[in-house]
Amino acid sequence: MQSDRSPEIGSTVAIQKNVFNSLLSKLKEQGYEIVGPHVENETLVYAPIAKLEDLPRGFVTEQEAGSFRLVYTGHTRYFDIIPGAQSWKQYLFPSRAELFTLRKADGTWNMETPRPTAPAYAFIGVRGCELAAIQIQDNAFLRGDFTDPIYRAAREKAFILAVNCLHPASTCFCASMGTGPRVEGDADLTLTELEDVFLLNVGSELGRNILSGLPFESASAFVLNAANRGLERAAQQMGRSMDTSDLPDLILNNLDHVHWREIGERCLSCANCTQVCPTCFCWDATDTLSLDGNQTRRERVWDSCFNPGYSYQAGGNTRPTIHSRYRQWMSHKLGTWKVQYGTFGCTGCGRCITWCPAAIDITVEIANLRKEIR
Amino acid sequence: MATHVHSHSPASPTERLLEPVWAEVTAITPEAEGISTYWLKFSDPAVAAAYTFQPGQFNMIYLPGYGEAAISICSDPESTSVIGHSIRFVGNVTRAISRLKVGDVVGVRGPFGSAWPMKEMEGHDVIIACGGIGLPPLRPAIYHIMNHREKFGKVFLLYGARTPKDMLYPTEFEEWERAGIQVQVTVDRADEDWQGQVGVVPMLFYRFRMDAPNSVVLTCGPEIMIRFVVYEGLARRVPADQIYVSLERNMKCGQGSCGHCQLGPYFICKDGPVFRFDTLQPYFNVEEF
Amino acid sequence: MDPLDELRLELQKIPWFRELQIKHLDMLAGITQLRSVKAGEVLFREGDRAGAIYIVLSGRIALDMAVPPRGKIRFHTAEMWEVIGWSSATPVVYQRTASATAVVDGRLAMIDSAKLRELCDQDHDLGYLVMRRLANIVASRLMSSRLQLLDMFADPETKNAK
Repeated sequence: MQSDRSPEIGSTVAIQKNVFNSLLSKLKEQGYEIVGPHVENETLVYAPIAKLEDLPRGFVTEQEAGSFRLVYTGHTRYFDIIPGAQSWKQYLFPSRAELFTLRKADGTWNMETPRPTAPAYAFIGVRGCELAAIQIQDNAFLRGDFTDPIYRAAREKAFILAVNCLHPASTCFCASMGTGPRVEGDADLTLTELEDVFLLNVGSELGRNILSGLPFESASAFVLNAANRGLERAAQQMGRSMDTSDLPDLILNNLDHVHWREIGERCLSCANCTQVCPTCFCWDATDTLSLDGNQTRRERVWDSCFNPGYSYQAGGNTRPTIHSRYRQWMSHKLGTWKVQYGTFGCTGCGRCITWCPAAIDITVEIANLRKEIR
Repeated sequence: MATHVHSHSPASPTERLLEPVWAEVTAITPEAEGISTYWLKFSDPAVAAAYTFQPGQFNMIYLPGYGEAAISICSDPESTSVIGHSIRFVGNVTRAISRLKVGDVVGVRGPFGSAWPMKEMEGHDVIIACGGIGLPPLRPAIYHIMNHREKFGKVFLLYGARTPKDMLYPTEFEEWERAGIQVQVTVDRADEDWQGQVGVVPMLFYRFRMDAPNSVVLTCGPEIMIRFVVYEGLARRVPADQIYVSLERNMKCGQGSCGHCQLGPYFICKDGPVFRFDTLQPYFNVEEF
Repeated sequence: MDPLDELRLELQKIPWFRELQIKHLDMLAGITQLRSVKAGEVLFREGDRAGAIYIVLSGRIALDMAVPPRGKIRFHTAEMWEVIGWSSATPVVYQRTASATAVVDGRLAMIDSAKLRELCDQDHDLGYLVMRRLANIVASRLMSSRLQLLDMFADPETKNAK
C-alpha cells in the first residue's frame, strides 16, 4: 500500500472501500458540502451525506413506466442504485431562487440583489447520464453571450465524483443516447464499484489532489477487466433503447402527424416529466408583494412547457391543447435542442418514463411515431 | 437572418438576471382606446447616455409587484433622450401600467432582440405591411427611413386597423407622406362617414404596383394577418428571403434563457422578434407550435 | 374621339382586359358604358334589381349594409380596377346584396350583366375568361371577408375575439 504520492491524471487506482470515508472527510475539510444518494422517508433522494454508511447500500430501485419502488435486497454495494426523481439540477439550478428584493422608501424602490452564494458542492455518485445532463445544462446557462449567475456560482465550484453504472434500471436507455453506462464526460473522479474495492479514475487536478495522501494502489489488469466486463454487460442488459438515427428529422418533418394527438389523449399535462428531467431548464419569474405594497421579492422558479401559463400571451395561449404541449416537449428534447445546442436534450436517464402517471414512454412514442410514418 | 444585435446596453447586462434600471415616465400620449404611448427617461444619466436601440427591438418594462411585459420601442432610434413605448392594456402588467402617471418610475431592461434589416434594405423598395398594434415596432424603421430617405427606393406603408378610431399615429401620416412614404391605410369596418379604404391589409397588395424582385417586405401584426401578408408577398414574387416578420410570443427573460418564447429552434426574444421569412418557413404553418 | 374608341382605350388600361383577344375586347366594349360618379352618389342600393357590373377606373366606391340598430356598416371599398356588383354576372342573383356609394368623384365602366351572361353563353371561350376572372374576384373578397370575420385586431381578452 502506497500512500505518500498522488496518482497521475488519467490513471485508475483502487482503494479499499473504507478509505472512501477518508476521501469524504478530505472533501469536507476542503469546505465542500457533500451530497449524494440517501434513503430518507422511505425513498431515494439526494441529500447531505457524511460517510459511506449514509449511502443506500443494500437498496435497489425497481422502475417501470409510471412505477417506482425502493427495494431492500441486502446487497453489499454502496453505489448500485439507479437514481429516483431527484437530480443534481436541484443544486445547480434550484427550483426557487431569489433574484432580488425591492423595498420602497420615500417613493423610490431600492434594489437588494443577493450575491449568488451557493456552497461548493461535492456531488458523490453522478451517473454518466447525469453528468451528460449537467453538461447539457452548461450549454444553456453558460453561453458565450449570456451567463446565468446563479447557475455559474454553483457550477464552477462543484466537485464531481461520477459513478459507472453496472446495474441499470429497466427504464434506462443511456447506452443508446451515448451517455452511459460508462461515464463519458469530464468528472473529477470516476468510480467503479467492485465487490471488494472502489476503482477511481482520476479526471482532474482537483481529483488528484483529493486522492493524494490516501492509501491507494494501481488498479490491476484483473480488476480493470472485471470493471470493463461489468460495463459491457450493463450496456447489453439495458432495459430500453432509443433509435436516434433519424432524429431530429423524424420529428421536425412530422410536426403535424396525427400521432401527437393520440399521445395528447393520454398525457395529463402534469409537468412531472419536466420537473424530474435533469436537462429541462425553463423558468419563470414571480413577484411576491408585501401586503403594504412596500416590498416585493422577485424569484425565479422552475416552469414547464406543460403549464398552460407557459405559452400564454396577451389574451390567449399559443399552445392551448395538451398534444401541442407534449409535442413542444418532445420536439425540443429530441429535435430543436440539437439545432440550439448541438446535442439532444435527452440523456436516456428514464426519469420521465418512471414518473409519468400515465406511463407515457418517450422511447415507445418515438418508435410508434416512426412505425406510423413508414 | 434578421439583423442580430450584439452590443449590450447598461440596461441589458449579460450576467444579471432580470435586474432592471429605473426610468421615469415623462409623458403619456393616448393613441387610441386602450393604447397609450409611454415616454421613458432613464433616471441614471450614465444609462441614458449609453442607451441605444435599433428599429424592431423591444424593452422589458417592469412594475414592482406585478412583473414584466415585453414592449416594442416605437420612437426614433436617433433620438434616445426619451424612449417611446406604445402599450396596449391587455394583461396584468399592462393594465397596471395604464394606471401610471407622469413622474412615476418603472423598471426597464433592454433593448432585446433582432432588428429590422435597415442596412440590407438600402437600395431596395420597402413595403411595410402592418396592422393594429403591429405599427409601433415598425415606427422606428419609418423614422430611420425618413432620416436616411435617399438610401431607399420607393417606400409604402400599408396599415390596417379595426376601425378608424383604432388607428395609431394618424396625425403623423401626412408628415410621412411628405417624406416620400406612400401611406395606404385601411380599416376592417367603418361607418358611412369614413372616406378612406375599407378592407384588410393583405388586400392592399392589390392596390399598388410593386417591383417585387427589388422589394423588401416588413410585416408585423396579429399572426393571422402576418400569414396572409406573407402569402400576398410570395404570390407577387417577392423572394422569401426579402420578407421579414416580427413575431410575438411569451417573452420573459429577453436573454434566450427561460425558454418561454420558443418557436421551433428559435428563442423569439433573442433570435427574433424579427425573422427573415425563409428561416421560419418550416414552422410557419404548424398549428399550435 | 369616337366614343367606342375612347371606351376601348379605357378598357385596355385595365390589366385583365389587356390579356383579351381583340374579338373578345370588342364584344365586351359593345355592352359597356363609361360613367362618371360624384362623391356621395349612390350607385345602387341593397334590394335593387341587379343590372350591371362595375369596374372602378378612378375614385373609390364603398359597399355598405344597413344593420338596424347599428346603422350603416361599411365593409369594403373598391379602388381602381376593382370590380363591384360581380354577383350579377351569375344567373341566380337578381338583387343587390349591398349598397354602393361613391366616396369621391370617379369614373366607372358599367357592363350590362344580362348581356354579359348572354355573350358568355354564346362564346364559351369568353365565358371561361370572364368566369375565371370572377372566380379570382370572389376568392379575394372571400379571403377579405374571412379576415374581417376573425376580427383580428380585436382586444384579445374580449370574448368576441376568440
